Amino acid sequence: MKLNSKVPKGPLEQKWESHKFQMKLVNPANKRKYKVIVVGTGLAGASAAAAMAELGFEVKAFTYHDSPRRAHSIAAQGGINAAKNYANDGDSVYRLFYDTIKGGDFRAREANVYRLAEVANAIIDQCVAQGVPFAREYGGLLDNRSFGGAQVSRTFYARGQTGQQLLLGAYQALMRQVGLGTVELYNRREMLELVVADGAARGIVCRNLMTGAIESHAADAVILATGGYGNAFYLSTNAKACNATAIWKAYKKGAAFANPCFTQIHPTCIPVSGEHQSKLTLMSESLRNDGRVWVPKKAGDHRPPSQIPDEERDYYLERVYPSYGNLAPRDVSSRQAKFRVDEGRGVGESRMAVYLDFRDALKRLGHSKITERYGNLFQMYEKITDENPYEVPMRIYPAVHYTMGGLWVDYNLMSTVPGLHVLGEANFSDHGANRLGASALMQGLADGYFIIPYTIADYLTSAKLPKVDTKHDAFRAAENDARMRMQKLLSVKGGRTVDEFHRELGLILWEYVGMSRNDAGLRKALVEIPKLREEFWQDVRVPGELNFLNPELEKASRVADYFELGELMARDALHRTESCGGHFREESQTPDNEAKRDDERFAYVAAWEYKGESKEPEMHKESLEFERIQLATRSYK
Amino acid sequence: MSKAKTINLTLKVWRQNGSSGIGHFETHQAKDISTDMSFLEMFDVINQQIIKLGGDPIAFDHDCREGICGMCSMTINGNPHGPDRETATCQLHMRRFEDGETLVVEPFRARAFPVQKDLVVDRSGLDRIIAAGGFVSVSTGNARDANGIPVPKLDSDLAFDAASCIGCGACVAACKNASAMLFTGAKVSHLALLPQGAVEKDRRVLKMVAQMDKEQFGSCSNTGACEAACPKGITLENMARMNRQYLAASVTSR
Amino acid sequence: MSGIQSTSGPGFFTSSIGKKYVVGLMAIGITLFALTHMLGNMLLFVSPKAYNIYSHTLISNPAIVAIELVLLAIFLVHVAFTIWTTIENKAARGNRKFLTTKGAKSVSWSSTTMFYHGVVIFFFVAWHLKTFKYGTNYDVTYNGVLMRDIHRLLVEVFQSPFYVWSYVFCVVFLGYHLNHGVQSVFQTLGFNHPKYSPAIRKLGVAYAVVVAVGFILQPLYVYFFMKQ
Repeated sequence: MKLNSKVPKGPLEQKWESHKFQMKLVNPANKRKYKVIVVGTGLAGASAAAAMAELGFEVKAFTYHDSPRRAHSIAAQGGINAAKNYANDGDSVYRLFYDTIKGGDFRAREANVYRLAEVANAIIDQCVAQGVPFAREYGGLLDNRSFGGAQVSRTFYARGQTGQQLLLGAYQALMRQVGLGTVELYNRREMLELVVADGAARGIVCRNLMTGAIESHAADAVILATGGYGNAFYLSTNAKACNATAIWKAYKKGAAFANPCFTQIHPTCIPVSGEHQSKLTLMSESLRNDGRVWVPKKAGDHRPPSQIPDEERDYYLERVYPSYGNLAPRDVSSRQAKFRVDEGRGVGESRMAVYLDFRDALKRLGHSKITERYGNLFQMYEKITDENPYEVPMRIYPAVHYTMGGLWVDYNLMSTVPGLHVLGEANFSDHGANRLGASALMQGLADGYFIIPYTIADYLTSAKLPKVDTKHDAFRAAENDARMRMQKLLSVKGGRTVDEFHRELGLILWEYVGMSRNDAGLRKALVEIPKLREEFWQDVRVPGELNFLNPELEKASRVADYFELGELMARDALHRTESCGGHFREESQTPDNEAKRDDERFAYVAAWEYKGESKEPEMHKESLEFERIQLATRSYK
Repeated sequence: MSKAKTINLTLKVWRQNGSSGIGHFETHQAKDISTDMSFLEMFDVINQQIIKLGGDPIAFDHDCREGICGMCSMTINGNPHGPDRETATCQLHMRRFEDGETLVVEPFRARAFPVQKDLVVDRSGLDRIIAAGGFVSVSTGNARDANGIPVPKLDSDLAFDAASCIGCGACVAACKNASAMLFTGAKVSHLALLPQGAVEKDRRVLKMVAQMDKEQFGSCSNTGACEAACPKGITLENMARMNRQYLAASVTSR
Repeated sequence: MSGIQSTSGPGFFTSSIGKKYVVGLMAIGITLFALTHMLGNMLLFVSPKAYNIYSHTLISNPAIVAIELVLLAIFLVHVAFTIWTTIENKAARGNRKFLTTKGAKSVSWSSTTMFYHGVVIFFFVAWHLKTFKYGTNYDVTYNGVLMRDIHRLLVEVFQSPFYVWSYVFCVVFLGYHLNHGVQSVFQTLGFNHPKYSPAIRKLGVAYAVVVAVGFILQPLYVYFFMKQ
C-alpha cells in the first residue's frame, strides 16, 4: 500500500483553485448515468447527497435511522466557524487555517486544513440561503461569538442548537432531492459490508433493520459519512446508535485507518451517576467563561461544597495556567480534571467529578445575567441531576466526545480503496490530534457541499469502470459474509448480554486508552481486549432472530467491531510515544506535566492496513510536510 | 417527585409483533430502580433482565438521549413523552415517579404511524411532508453573502422557535385526531418567516398540506393537545400562520 | 421513498385546512345568530306585546324565507363538514383508542367534546323549531294588526318542568360549544398573536356565558314567575 496524498502543487492559497480547474468535469447529460451511494445522512452525508443530486448524479442515500434528520450532528451545541471577519477583529482565512492546524497540534495535512478554512465562508452563505436561523443582531445581521479559546469572534451559532439547525438545513436540501426523485432514500438500513469489485468500491451490503433482509446495492462510487467511533468507549456523548461498523468494514476491505488513537475527551460533561448510565451529556464549553473549576485541597474532604472555605479550595486551572485559567483548551482541562480525581480529590458521590462553580459569577453579575447567558444549560443540568446549579456548584467530568482519527483519505477525500470516499468525522483529515470547538460542523459541511461534488466527478470520469451490478460475485460473497456473521452472533446463545461486554470493553479503553496513556497500560489493553473479545464470541447472548427487527443483534454486531477497533486504537497509541493533542503519553511530558510533542519522530499520519484475521496490521506513514507554517509548542501558561 | 433513592414500579408495556400483529399489554415489575435513571435507562435495565431470562426484549426507538434527535417515542399513562411539559422521554427521570406507581407505556399511536414492533412506529410520513415542500429551493453554490439580506431579529427568533421542532411526532400522538398540523405548521412558519424562504411560501404551504392529507393525518380541532405534548414548546401560533397562508395561497393560486 | 404529491393537491374545500375554514366560517354565522336570537328574546322581560311585535316584524319580512334558508344552509353545512372531518379524524386516530392526556398536558373538556355537544345542540334545535316555529298558532291583535301570539305559546311550554330543565341542559351544552368554538374560530382563520390571543380566549368565555345565561334566564323566569 502506498499513501499518495495527491496534494496539488503550487502555493497554499492557490492549491484548491487550480486543482478545481484541473479536475475533469462530467457532461451534464452524462451525470445521471453515474450512480453514487452515500452512507450516513448527518451533516456530511446529507449535504453530499443533496449537492451531488443537484448536479444530476443519481444518488442512493442510506441511514440506519427512521429519518435522516436524526443523525447525531443534530446534537452539536456551540457553533460553526468561518472567517467572515464580520466582527472586524482581524480574522482571515489564513488565521482560521492557522488556528485550526495549531489547535490540532500540527498533526493535520496543511493543504486540507487551508482548503477547509477557504470554503468555510461559503458554508455560512449556503446555510443562510437554506433558511438556517442563525443568531442575529437587532440590525438584522448575523451575530458572532468567540469560542474554544480563539482570539477572534468567528463562530456563527443558533442558540445552543447550531448542529440541529445546520442538520435540518442539509436534511431539507436532501429531502427536496428525494421529492424530486434524484435521491433514493433508504432508511433503517445498516451497512454491513463494503463491496469491492475489480479493485474499486462498487457497492454495499446492508441490513434492513425492520425486516432483517440483507440487501445489495451497486454504484459507481461509495461515500461513507458515518461519523466517529467514540462509542467504542461505551460511555460517550455520542448517540446510542452511533457506530463504526461502516468504516471498520471498509478498513477490512483495504481502506487504511489513520490515527485511531486520536480521540477527544471533552472536559465539561455531566458525570456518571451510576451503573445504569447509558450515555453522557455534554454541557457547552461556554460555561467555562464564567464558571470556576475547583476541587478541595485535601484528599478525602467530603464536606458539602458550601462548607469548604475558599482557602481550602484548589482552583487548579487558575493555579496551573494563570494566563488562560478556566479557559484552557479541551485536552488540557480534561487531563487536569483526571489528575485531581486520581489524587483522591474528586467530588460528588462517585468521587469522579470536579466542581464548576458559579458562586462568584452570580455575585458579580447577578442571577438574571447568568440566567440570560446559561439559563437553558442550568435547566438541563437540573433536569438530569436534580441539583440547582444556582445554589450548589455543578459537578462535571470529562467524557469521550469526538474522534479525530478515521479512514485515511487523500486530498480528494478518497481512501486507499479506489472509489471509496470518506467525509466528516469518519475520515481523519482536518483536525490533527485535537479538534477545536465549532470546527466539526464546518468540516462536515465543507466536505459535503463544496469538496466531494468536485472530486467525485473527477474520479468518475477518469476511473473507466467496468459495468458491475449486484449479480457480481463480489456482492454474493459480501452478502454471505454479512449473513454468516449475524448468524454466528445469534448462535452463541451464551450467558452475558451485549451491554455487559460493551461496558467492560469501555472500562478497559477508558482506563488504558483514555485521557492519559502509558506503555504498560497500553500493553495490558492489548492483552485484555482480545481476551474479552474471545469471551464475547463464546458467551454473548443475542436474543431474537435475523429476519425481524432486532435491536440486540444490531448492538452485538457493532460491539463486535469495537473489540477490533479498540485493539487498533491501543496499538496506535502504543506506537506513538509522543504526546500530542488528545493523545497524552505519560512517558512524554515536561517536568510540569505538560504534553511533549516529538516532531522529529512523529510528524506523520499513521495509517494502518488490515492484513487479515489474527494478523498484525501494517502501519504506513504519510509524513506531514509543512510548507508554510512553523511548528510551535502550544502553551497556555 | 420521589425523594427515595430507589423505587419499585409496575409497568404495563405494549407488545406487538410486526405491523400486522395483534398487540397486547405485558406487565413487568421494575424493581430497585434508581431515581437518577432516565426513563429509557429503566427500559435498558428491564430489557437486560428479559434477555437474561431468555425472553424477547422490548423494542423501543431512542438515540441521542439528550432530547434533540426526536427518536424516542413512548406514551406514558396517555401522555406522549410522559407527564412533564417540554421534556422528551429520554430526559424524563425516574425521580418524577412515586414508589409503587403503575405506568402504562404505549407507542406513539396514529394510523399514519403504524406500529412496527412493540413501541417502535414508522414516522416516515413526516419526512414525506418535508420532501413535498419543507425546504428552500436553493441549490448548493447559489447563495449570496450571508449578510446580503438583513433579517429582523424578531422574525429570526420566531423562525428559530418554529425550527426547533425535533420531528418526534408527539403532536400527532397526543392529538385525538392524529393531526400533523403542528409539525407542518412549524416548518411552514420557520421558512415563511425568513426572507430566504418567503419567496416560495405559497407553493410550499399548498404542497405540504396536500402531502399531509395524503398521509392520512387527521385535521385540527384546536384542542391544543399537541402544544401541551410538544417537547420543544412549539406553539399553536405556527398553525394559525399556516392556516392563513394556506387560505391566501389557495385564493391566489392559478 | 415514493408517493410525494406532484401537483398542488386537492381543492381547498376538500383539504383538511379548507374544511376547517368552512366549519369555522359557518360557525361565525351561527354564533352571531345565537347572540341576536338571545337578545331579541330578552323582550320577554319587557312585555308580551313587545315580544310579539318583534316576532311579527321578523316573520312578516318578505325576505324571511330566503334568510331562513340561508341560516338552515349555514347550519347544515357546519354539521355536514363536521361529520365529514370527524369520520376522517376517527379513522386517522386508528383502531386503538388512545388514553387521554392528563396532568400538565391536559386540555379543556369542551375542546375535546365538541362533536358530542354538537350532536346535542343539533337535536335541540330540531326540537326547538318543532315546539315554537311549528307549534300551536295562537292569535293576538295589536293596533289592529293580527299576529301570532308566540308569547302565549312560550309561557305555556315553559310551564313544563321537563321542558324547562331539558332546555337549560341543552343551553349549557351550547355554552360549552361556544366557549371553545369562539376562540377556535379565531385560531382556524389564522388569528393567533400573543398580544391578542389571551383577550380572544376571554372573549370566547364571555360570549359563551352571556349567550347561555341569557337563554337560560328566559325559561326560568317563565317557570318561576309567570305561573298560569
